[in-house]
Amino acid sequence: MFKKFTSEDVSGQNQVKASVQRKIRQSIADEYPGLELVLDDLLPKKSPLIVAKCQNHLNLVVVNNVPLFFNIRDGPYMPTLRLLHQYPTIMKKLQVDRGAIKFVLAGANIMCPGLTSPGGVLDEEVGAETPVAIMAEGKQHALAIGFTKMSAKDIKAINKGIGVDNMHYLNDGLWKMERLD
Amino acid sequence: MTEILQPVQVLYCGICSLPAEYCEFGADFEKCKPWLIRNAPQLYPDLIQESNSKVADGISDQLQSSSITDGTEPSGSSAPKEPVKRLPGGKTKKKEKQEVIIEKVTRNKRKSITTLKGLDLFGVKLSDASKKLGKKFATGASVVKGPTEKDQIDVQGDIAYDIVEFITDTWPDVPETAIYFIEDGKKVPAV
Repeated sequence: MFKKFTSEDVSGQNQVKASVQRKIRQSIADEYPGLELVLDDLLPKKSPLIVAKCQNHLNLVVVNNVPLFFNIRDGPYMPTLRLLHQYPTIMKKLQVDRGAIKFVLAGANIMCPGLTSPGGVLDEEVGAETPVAIMAEGKQHALAIGFTKMSAKDIKAINKGIGVDNMHYLNDGLWKMERLD
Repeated sequence: MTEILQPVQVLYCGICSLPAEYCEFGADFEKCKPWLIRNAPQLYPDLIQESNSKVADGISDQLQSSSITDGTEPSGSSAPKEPVKRLPGGKTKKKEKQEVIIEKVTRNKRKSITTLKGLDLFGVKLSDASKKLGKKFATGASVVKGPTEKDQIDVQGDIAYDIVEFITDTWPDVPETAIYFIEDGKKVPAV
């Protein structure tokens, strides 16, 4: 999704109303309970929260010029990988095998067999349509953020086709956009 | 992990900005290698060995550690220069040809539009260019988002024959040989 993404794709940035800010905060807090303690540091109540609107109904939540979260349409907020690397525990994790890394880093969606093979790890509790962190065999850090197409159980049972949509991966446009001015 | 969450410090490669452990999947692992040896030796133990053996071979230049490749350069004189940009996934990016393409599109039977593509590749500012064109030919000229996200200039009217001279006069950087017309779907050099 962010394969070709530059600051030119940002069509407008707005400092949002306090009520909208509260709403965003709330939905992030609901989505990532683990973040609650640091949410005040991440999204300080005082400093302005900026929402950058981009093409394809994409919103970036920007604080102090650093993109922290993104969402599509009214979908769930997802952290950027830089943020996820700092707080790796906040998201459910799925792990792909080593062979898949190359393709995921090129922007491919995550196919079921890569998750079910010996190198992959599936968290059984993951349902369909939830944001997940994609980890890789033998690596510490997440390499992508995905949105599951089917539940973990289905991934295991069907074991074919796209299991997780690749939303954001290392070295894509959003990754390269460390700061947004 | 329920206590205060401490942000994890992740080591990012200074060259390709990926977390160091993903350098091997990055676009330019070769370039990252010297940095990795210095900053994250524990991640890639193989690299150290490689560079050590290289030193043992009597090659003193420190930068050499970058050119541990498949041995196509036995002399190891310098890191192989790669003019082709590599995309992740091993595909090579085609270098865009610097050429200006002029096409006449007819509308309403006797009215036409001349489109001008590729001027930006010569470092010409399109908005300036369209203004100049409009002034010169006394017509409307605008920058339009063309197909595949390329910007092009649309000039109203058929100016195909005067335009070549105008381009080469106004922007000496653009050689006449790089200008092409599209006639009946075929690319024809302007000269």
